[in-house]
Amino acid sequence: MKRAISFLVVLTLACASVFAAGAKEEAAEQKPVTLNLMFYSPELQEQYNDMVAAYKAETGVTLDITVLQADYRSVLTSKINSGDIPDVFMTSAYADNSTYKDYAYDMSNEPFVKQLQPSALQGVTVAGKVIGYPFLVQSHSFIYNKKVFADVGITELPKTLDQLEAAAKKIEAAGIQPFATGFKEFWVLPQTAWQALAPAVVKNYGGYAKFVAGLNDGSLKFKNVSEMAQVFDLLDLIKKYGGPKPNESDFNDQTSSIATGKVAIIHQGNWAEGTIRKTNEAADIGYLVGPAGNDAAGAGIMFDSNQTIRVAKDGKNLKAALAWLNWLTTSEYGKNWIPGKIKQMSPIIGSDAPDSQIAKATAKLLGEKAPGYPWFYQMFPTGTEQQLGAVLQGYCAGQTDRAATLDAMDAAYTKIAKAAN
Amino acid sequence: MKKKTSRFLVFAAFTVPAFAAILVSVEVPFLMSVLYSFTKWNGLDRVPLFIGMANYTEIFLDDPDMMRALSFTFQQTFFRVILTNAIALLLAVLLDGEIRGKNALRAIFYIPNIISLIVIGYIWRFIFSKGFDSFYEMTKAPIFMLSWLGDGDMAFGSVLLVSVWQSIGFYLVIYIAGLQIVPRDVIEASMIDGAGPHSRFYKITLPLIMPSVTVAVFHSLSNSLKSFDVIFSLTNGGPGIATTTIALDIYKTAFVVSRFGYGTAKSVLLFLLILAFTFFQVKMFKSREIEA
Amino acid sequence: MKRHPSTLIIDVLLWIFALLYLYPLLLVVINSFKTFSEITTNVVALPKSLLMDNFRNAFRLMEYPRLFLNTLIATAIGVVGVIAVSALAGYKLSRTKTKYSWVLFIILIAPMMIPFHSFMIALVKVAKGMGLTRTPMGLGVLYWGLGAPLALFMYHGFVKSIPMELDDCALIDGASPFRAFAQVIFPLLQPVTVSVIVLNAMWMWNDFLLPLLILSGSKKAYTLQLAAYNFFGQYKIEWNYAMAGVLLTLMPAVVFYLALQQYIIKGMVSGAVKS
Repeated sequence: MKRAISFLVVLTLACASVFAAGAKEEAAEQKPVTLNLMFYSPELQEQYNDMVAAYKAETGVTLDITVLQADYRSVLTSKINSGDIPDVFMTSAYADNSTYKDYAYDMSNEPFVKQLQPSALQGVTVAGKVIGYPFLVQSHSFIYNKKVFADVGITELPKTLDQLEAAAKKIEAAGIQPFATGFKEFWVLPQTAWQALAPAVVKNYGGYAKFVAGLNDGSLKFKNVSEMAQVFDLLDLIKKYGGPKPNESDFNDQTSSIATGKVAIIHQGNWAEGTIRKTNEAADIGYLVGPAGNDAAGAGIMFDSNQTIRVAKDGKNLKAALAWLNWLTTSEYGKNWIPGKIKQMSPIIGSDAPDSQIAKATAKLLGEKAPGYPWFYQMFPTGTEQQLGAVLQGYCAGQTDRAATLDAMDAAYTKIAKAAN
Repeated sequence: MKKKTSRFLVFAAFTVPAFAAILVSVEVPFLMSVLYSFTKWNGLDRVPLFIGMANYTEIFLDDPDMMRALSFTFQQTFFRVILTNAIALLLAVLLDGEIRGKNALRAIFYIPNIISLIVIGYIWRFIFSKGFDSFYEMTKAPIFMLSWLGDGDMAFGSVLLVSVWQSIGFYLVIYIAGLQIVPRDVIEASMIDGAGPHSRFYKITLPLIMPSVTVAVFHSLSNSLKSFDVIFSLTNGGPGIATTTIALDIYKTAFVVSRFGYGTAKSVLLFLLILAFTFFQVKMFKSREIEA
Repeated sequence: MKRHPSTLIIDVLLWIFALLYLYPLLLVVINSFKTFSEITTNVVALPKSLLMDNFRNAFRLMEYPRLFLNTLIATAIGVVGVIAVSALAGYKLSRTKTKYSWVLFIILIAPMMIPFHSFMIALVKVAKGMGLTRTPMGLGVLYWGLGAPLALFMYHGFVKSIPMELDDCALIDGASPFRAFAQVIFPLLQPVTVSVIVLNAMWMWNDFLLPLLILSGSKKAYTLQLAAYNFFGQYKIEWNYAMAGVLLTLMPAVVFYLALQQYIIKGMVSGAVKS
């Protein structure tokens, strides 16, 4: 037994070294081009695979996409550090522009950039340079179940906080839980909160850039932003009408509950539609504008392109990566990929609208001149989404009162801003 | 003289392989990381900025969240180490005796330890929310209507429950192995002398299995202090930061907020803390181990 | 030995406890037979019918056979290496009662206390430099240093239960120290060795983060756990496949554990001492 083990050990070591050497050689001998990509959004895995197959068929180039979610950033960081940067990778827009500034290729002069909507490009343009490719155009607001609203007898869609409360009361009286809060997800809270603040930022604080700059240099503090009260009022409302366990509701709970009509309203984005339909193909859903206190005219939806594709400027296959982006923007398949297969809105000028109720609702609301606010909170330094989300979660769980919550938000923001400079 | 050299060479031959492996996989990378703790770096910029001890001062003077995380971690560790080891030891002793279906039982208690922690997090999330909803409808017992994961205080218990549930199996294996080394003839002799099961356990079994106890307590102590995976998938440190452990705090600092230098400084401190705790623990326990 | 009635009570209590204990896993099993919408509407209900679809699809999507082999290679290399280096070092350090031995011991078990996230990026750098990335073999080699500390600790402690006289006995026969160890001492450590095999095989088989860092970018080299993870997204968890995938990954590990369990019991010290 023991001799066998020692023999095995030696054999294993020998094999290991031989195999390792062999594998290295094999990798070096790779013939046609293989692009290395790193994406998140694993819910789009099928669509990624489909696109990869189509590209291979048309050009012979292999796209090797690694798809992750929760560990995405740590793996990307570790790959960049070990010199293994993917040719193409995904990030957020705005603040991530400076995070990845040493690695993102400046594509301002690439021909395909002209085919992209200017509104989608604003999040990836820094000092006139376009350093990212907007992937999806998305919106988020309050999704409501049309059937529930009809059954309960709500004919006019609420636009203000008071109207939303009235609607919630009516729904509850009919025996249905008005909201699925989604408070368990750290990202749902900031999403919900900042929408309530958006119109005030434009009106009272000189616009998004000024607002964020003020927060960054410390001249502006959340506790001095009186409109934060609207945010808290909204969160209180959702919690009050959010069922017996409001802090345990996650994305899954939100989508399955609204799909089956167990719940009437959730705060989510157009990306949630796919999951909602998987539970109930026939769900009939639409958008409510997000109340900003009792300012009906200011209530709108959050509309922007945040998910961004970046090309590694020192990548080995830079030309191939750009060729792929060009194909994505100009070819038949490419133009149809996002609206047709992914069923979300595309940043490409002239692309079709996807067959999605929420996308249609987005277009309709924007057409009616409801405000479409950019996702200005992505301009906050990297990491604030998580930190501020956690603070707001604490508020909703009753751990801090409003004053303490505001102080915690300021403390968290200051720390991150200081570190980011 | 020659004998001494050859003795040393033998010693080296036996210990160098382990030393080399551990250096490569852990110690060298860790030392490399320690260098980063003296910098201000987001993990991506090509050039980190050297800032000396600034990270360490910030930890002690300006990081209340981290202090909360430490406090939470210590409290969890205290209960976790005691509960896990006590239950695992008890089960090991019971399953070493005359019980029907011993092997099946051992497997059952071990299996939670080999399920991926992400899955465990999701499953328990289901159980605490949807599962408990169903149980409530069936039994109307109010305990199922409490917010096990949504309330900061209850979440402490929920996290503890899942952590202990998941780790007992690991220590069960260690204790069962330890019990095998207790010679049967010694046990039998003591039974002839009229010793009851309790005194048999405390006077004979326990001292003889001290090596397993030392290992198990050491491992569970350092594992609890490093606790990350279960929290990550079960609550992600929430609600708010109520269930954030120090390891999760470090992870978020380094990878979410992108303060890599600062995060590494925190992990150096965590390491020193664990080192201090376990040093005392091992010293204390090893003195009770008996040489055959 | 007559069975005391109280052991019957303990039996029953233990079994009840065990079944409760296993309930979460039962949920995984039940849900692996359901369709996606069945799962999202009611998690605890029994499946309407025993669908094998989830397993078939998960098996295919995960590219099970190849990934099974990858995971097996990484785990096997890892376990054998850990035992080899740890048994030798643990034994020697336990028998050598000098200050230097104690210091080296501490240095070798200290890594157990270092949180993985704090050095994982540097580890990837080192691994890349040594050519250990992108293959399951390389992953296995990296596991040696990660599994050795605990194994070493266990061997270190258990060696104490083997009388020192045995060491000398073996050497008197004219054998080299290695042979003496391998043929006399090591077999007596069987319970520990089997435990080390079980514990290490299990965590290596189920490991996620290190394989993710080392193997990402070369899908062909993936382990089972990495493939199963793909079913868990932030916006859409493919519950039906995820549950099936979890079971498919878990099954070999459980079988392995059951098979090895009995060996933990067999090795007995007292017999050897008498001879």
